[in-house]
Amino acid sequence: MSIWSESTQSRAKEILAKYPEKRSAVMPLLYLAMAEDGWLTEEGMTEVAEWVGITPAQVQSVASFYTMFKRERTGKYLVSLCTSISCMLLGSDDVLAAIEDESGVPHGETDEEGLISVEHAECIGACGGAVACQVNYELIEGLTAEKGRELVRWLKKARPEAVNTDEMQELFGGQRSFEWALPSDVGAAGPFPAFEPYGTATKDPQ
Amino acid sequence: MTDVKPQSDTQLVTITIDGVPHEVKKGEMLIKAAQDNGTYIPRFCWHPRMNPVGMCRMCLVQIETPRGPALITACTNPVADGMVVDTQNDTVKKAQEGILEFLLINHPLDCPVCDRGGECPLQDQTMSYGAGESRFVEEKRHYEKPIPISDLVLLDRERCILCARCTRFSDEISGDPLIEFKDRGNNTQVNTFPDLPFSSYFSGNTVQICPVGALTATAYRFRARPWDLNAVESTCAHCTAGDRITIQSSQNEVLRFLGVDAEPTNHGWLSDKCRFGFEYINSPDRLSMPLVKGSDGAFRESSWAEALDLVASKLRSTIESSGPDSVGAIGGARLTNEDAYALSKFMRVAVGTNNVDAQLDDGLDPQFLAATADRALISDLETAKTVLVWGPDLKEEHPTLYLRVRRAAQELGATLIVVHPRATGLDDRADHKFTYRPGAGSEVLTALSAGEGRYADARAALNTGPVVALVGRSGTTEDPKLAEAVAAFVRTLSDASILPLARRSNVFGALDMGLAPTLLPGRVSLGGIGCANLEENWGPWPTKTGKSTREMLAGGITSPAGLEALIIVGADPVRDMPDGLVAAEAIESIGFVVSLDQFLTDSNRLADVILPAEGFAEKDGTVTNIEGRVQKVNNIVPGPGQSRPDWSIIDDIAARMGTTLGFSSAEGINEEIAHVAPAYEGVTWDLLEWDETDGVVVPYGEAGQPLQYIPVDTGGKTVKGDLVLHQARVMYDDGVLMRNGLSQHELAPGAKLHVHPDDVTRLSLDERATLTAGDFTVTLPVVIDDSLSRGVVYVPFNQPGTPPLGSNPIVTVTAAD
Amino acid sequence: MSYPKVITKRMEDHPTDSHTIERYEATGGYVQAKAAVAKTRDELVETVKESGLLGRGGAAFSTGLKWSFLAPARPAYLVVNGDESEPGTFKDRQLLERDPHQMLEGVIITAIANEVHHAFVYIRGEYPKPARRLQDAVDEAYVKGYFGKGIFGSEYDLELTVHLGGGAYICGEETALINSLEGQRGEPRLKPPYFPAAKGLYMMPTIVNNVETMANIPHIFEMGVDAYRALGHGDDTGTFMTSLSGHVNKPGNYELPHGITWRELIYDVGGGVPGDRELKMWIPGGASAPWFNPDDHLDLPITKGDTGQAGSMLGSGAVVVMDDTTCVVRAAERVVRFFSHESCGQCTPCREGTTWLEMILRRIEDGQGRPIDADLLLDVSDNISVGLAWPPRQTTICPLGPSAVSPITSIMRHFNDEVMAHITEGACPLAKTEVHA
Repeated sequence: MSIWSESTQSRAKEILAKYPEKRSAVMPLLYLAMAEDGWLTEEGMTEVAEWVGITPAQVQSVASFYTMFKRERTGKYLVSLCTSISCMLLGSDDVLAAIEDESGVPHGETDEEGLISVEHAECIGACGGAVACQVNYELIEGLTAEKGRELVRWLKKARPEAVNTDEMQELFGGQRSFEWALPSDVGAAGPFPAFEPYGTATKDPQ
Repeated sequence: MTDVKPQSDTQLVTITIDGVPHEVKKGEMLIKAAQDNGTYIPRFCWHPRMNPVGMCRMCLVQIETPRGPALITACTNPVADGMVVDTQNDTVKKAQEGILEFLLINHPLDCPVCDRGGECPLQDQTMSYGAGESRFVEEKRHYEKPIPISDLVLLDRERCILCARCTRFSDEISGDPLIEFKDRGNNTQVNTFPDLPFSSYFSGNTVQICPVGALTATAYRFRARPWDLNAVESTCAHCTAGDRITIQSSQNEVLRFLGVDAEPTNHGWLSDKCRFGFEYINSPDRLSMPLVKGSDGAFRESSWAEALDLVASKLRSTIESSGPDSVGAIGGARLTNEDAYALSKFMRVAVGTNNVDAQLDDGLDPQFLAATADRALISDLETAKTVLVWGPDLKEEHPTLYLRVRRAAQELGATLIVVHPRATGLDDRADHKFTYRPGAGSEVLTALSAGEGRYADARAALNTGPVVALVGRSGTTEDPKLAEAVAAFVRTLSDASILPLARRSNVFGALDMGLAPTLLPGRVSLGGIGCANLEENWGPWPTKTGKSTREMLAGGITSPAGLEALIIVGADPVRDMPDGLVAAEAIESIGFVVSLDQFLTDSNRLADVILPAEGFAEKDGTVTNIEGRVQKVNNIVPGPGQSRPDWSIIDDIAARMGTTLGFSSAEGINEEIAHVAPAYEGVTWDLLEWDETDGVVVPYGEAGQPLQYIPVDTGGKTVKGDLVLHQARVMYDDGVLMRNGLSQHELAPGAKLHVHPDDVTRLSLDERATLTAGDFTVTLPVVIDDSLSRGVVYVPFNQPGTPPLGSNPIVTVTAAD
Repeated sequence: MSYPKVITKRMEDHPTDSHTIERYEATGGYVQAKAAVAKTRDELVETVKESGLLGRGGAAFSTGLKWSFLAPARPAYLVVNGDESEPGTFKDRQLLERDPHQMLEGVIITAIANEVHHAFVYIRGEYPKPARRLQDAVDEAYVKGYFGKGIFGSEYDLELTVHLGGGAYICGEETALINSLEGQRGEPRLKPPYFPAAKGLYMMPTIVNNVETMANIPHIFEMGVDAYRALGHGDDTGTFMTSLSGHVNKPGNYELPHGITWRELIYDVGGGVPGDRELKMWIPGGASAPWFNPDDHLDLPITKGDTGQAGSMLGSGAVVVMDDTTCVVRAAERVVRFFSHESCGQCTPCREGTTWLEMILRRIEDGQGRPIDADLLLDVSDNISVGLAWPPRQTTICPLGPSAVSPITSIMRHFNDEVMAHITEGACPLAKTEVHA
């Protein structure tokens, strides 16, 4: 008996249909489970285990290998600031300190309300736009300490239903790795990458 | 047939290890080839029975390559012709010392309080290769320690070196991947899922193969240090596979069983029931004095002389007044072959009857079990292309065979066909699974042999040999003739062999010693043609077919079997027979009952005399496994109080009845068996020394087997009814040895009524339901079980608090309040 | 200075719609894929072999040769590696976002060449926008009949699944990528026996190629082998993409011809070091590569051979430039921390060793260094990467562990005095790294 809604179940079936073997759907289904619960719960992992026919221990083993499957309560906005080499050279440690200070959330933690989580991330592939930051994996390039504070204040005040990279870049970004293509019309409503086939994307977030 | 090791038709190649050339098997892993040729390469993660992972990197050695010397792991690289290996040079030594240092930087220095201390590979390697002082000044990894991961096993993640032996075992070998790596990199740990323990029937193996003290057994924790232990090799007596073990004791108390890697049987693995099931040996409730029931119905302790005189005179007077066929003997599966032979000879020679039966009406025809044509070896599973399992759930009743069949399907690529009334432990690896109603087996067999409809693919697979068929009774309500019908069909296949299944420890040895109404020692039918040595030793024996356990007991008092005296030997028919309650009535109605046992049981409480017998680990002898392999069991601790070996008790009773059986020692009996029992000819204890063999499969060498049983399809009973009962054994039950092994008895799942969801709806069942089977009525919790066919209900056999439900397959179920 | 563009030409010429199928087809797109349907495996493999195309994921192995090794068992699979995660690298992100059809055409040709009927594109989970862009492109191509049953009206079926990773750099290693795609932990597999071309995805023959490699394929067929080779420099054929970051005035992705020098890259293409500060060192090919310094390397041509001879590699094509305000201990710690964080944890030396190195570096940076730490850093490194040689003699299943050694040897060889000063002074001898806001 699935704990998922009808629409989530039909999404899960579509995902399974894309792979020759069921187990390949583990990671997509984990994202689906996160979209359902806001983060990856034990119930979510158990449900995924049912769908692909492996044990919950095996699902946990896979999920815990990857940094993006958040197995602890995570805020509606996950702020991930890159502090790898290129961003470090451009001052990311100061930007992180500003974000921690403004949000009151040290890296690796979530505020009491469950609104904002802060983490320092390893390279997120935006080195030409250092300092790089993601909110729910939606990218902002060329972030400064001051813009980082503004970002936190905006998240707390505006509380967008979902965040979108193009909108945030416009508001808080600077130097980019390259000229971006046309804006994308979806956003992420939680700490998971917005990707329509996984049921994690929110349409027209603005 | 002799015990044939796998023929090495494999090619040999020449490799050079540390300057010395060796001929080794092509494709073998370097670490194994080196070890077999005297060079031990240190390792932690490599295990000969599991796929290599190359994780610990301790076995780095140097080989020559066209691009110069290279370091490789000896556990992941197969040997190749001309390979030049250096296991000793400075580069190798430095690399290995480096690995050891890496393993130790996060390992706690708690060897003095670690169960593994003194037998720890990491400790040993550190002594041999390690540096004196730690260069690591940072904080070590910390975890809560230890945490229970099951009822039987504790995990200390700080000690763990992440070798993946336990996780591989649970995934590759036992098929219940409930312990897994969690997290990544330096935070990697082994763990279970929250609230989902490592409740595997095989969890104890992970303790044995853990190369450090990360996994420990609750039963052994802090009990002893390795240097205080005595040890002896033996053969496990819990299931019928004949698993090889080491028994360890200290101060006359058995403390631990370890699996020994024997190629033909257990590959080193043991079920938890076997590994931890020794607790009963040390039970304070063991019988230590003869007990005689007084006129008040209460037992009182007596001297051996008094008890034996009473038994002898009662048996003699019964024979004189009502004839030898008024005496019967039940049991024998818990005996050694020597004890069983003594009982067999006693009943034929001293009493004069064939009323003997080692089975308890839950097995198969004894001649089929002991002497079927085309009998398979367990090792045939290594080369089988197709495996058919039609019988009990192997995971529950034949745990070691379950592992071997799983290996055949999972690692060796055999096609697996499973036929059973409900879910089994092998279903996840079965290529074809057929579920049926008990009583409808004949119809399934007809359809399968014809390859009709959904059976077509499975039937086609059976044409691809070698085929190994494991056949037995799927449950207690199953017609025993079905297994023979399946065997008869299997014999029509071109390249097939059969392993007939029966559970209860040494039942195959007991049958081979003639503890059956239709068998004499050495696989001889009652006619005994061509058994000159047996005739000479025994003199004439009765030739009238004896009574089976069912015939002796299942009629109850309403249908007396004409028995006036009964000998029960290490058996508890009241708990273990499907018609146990009927058996209780029968035992009560029999004039004189004597029991030889280690414990008081529901059966021998009804007896007049109980004689305390020595048990497993307390006596020497031989046992015979499911394929006919004879192996030694050995004594390491004395039996409690005045307990005696069964053969000696039997010999003494015979003497007091005026018959000399001529037994003076177990070894002497073994020599007599090797002389008079045809299939056992020449199988002496000397032959069974473990350094030389893994036991021998009888008949051995020049010996023959007079009886060749040809299984036939006799049609089988078809059962029609609205609801049919499937009742089968599970690993943990209310058997007397389990009941006296406290940590295991708690693992019995309890009786529950499994019902197909459609029947739950049809019968309007809720949480509890009342089952009526013949005269029995019992109310049980309902479990929805969609692995059953519609119209079938299932109850696990012999669970605490619930009596056997009888052999009647037609039942009714109604909702209970 | 302007260089000829191949795989970035469309996005440069048509900045607003280079990602659409209309623009792609209007500029000659999918012609080569359509033509490939009628060609034999041998023809296609031979062409790519002759083109000299080297894999752009980091290992620089001949793509055509890789294809020719595909074992005969079927089904075979194609997995495109878009798990770009090496610090300093962001070129695949641009190729996916700005010109996804170019890569997809490469996928179709590669699939046909290798008798593949189900291809996968594995994109790192932190790239949702590129993944969305690619999925849109895939959907467009399905509608056109370029994927699905009977592509381009032929008998050939080809399915494509876009798959998102979960945040693990190690999945860029091809066997870890395959494990991950199978729904397993992204742990590298043993080689032998698990060479993808023989036992890859679902234990079947599998081709794993990088996004940039795929983007090159249509051009090889469009311009022909000779023209493609002529773009390059000796054995380094075609163009290459580099991701330039760190202390340069003009960071970004650049498509360049092989053979230009590091000086041209950093000063001409990258516009030099901000504030005209001194160039101190740079990482020439992703975080795994040993570092270069201006004294020894500035005028070396950028080729596989020259870089290898100088003791480093072009790897993922990422160049990270560091000026004279950069603390070498801190920079090395940041790179080592990355590998420690991304270690899968299988092999003892990598799991324990990279973390230990990170701890020692942090201790030195925090002013708690001991005199023996310099030797300890090198000896621990030696136990991960025997002899500290180049290319590394690894003690591990995959090259991740030895990658963590590159920054250690780089700073200990060129900046030993600065490291020792950290230890003896108990603090960084430089002012804190200047922040370029």
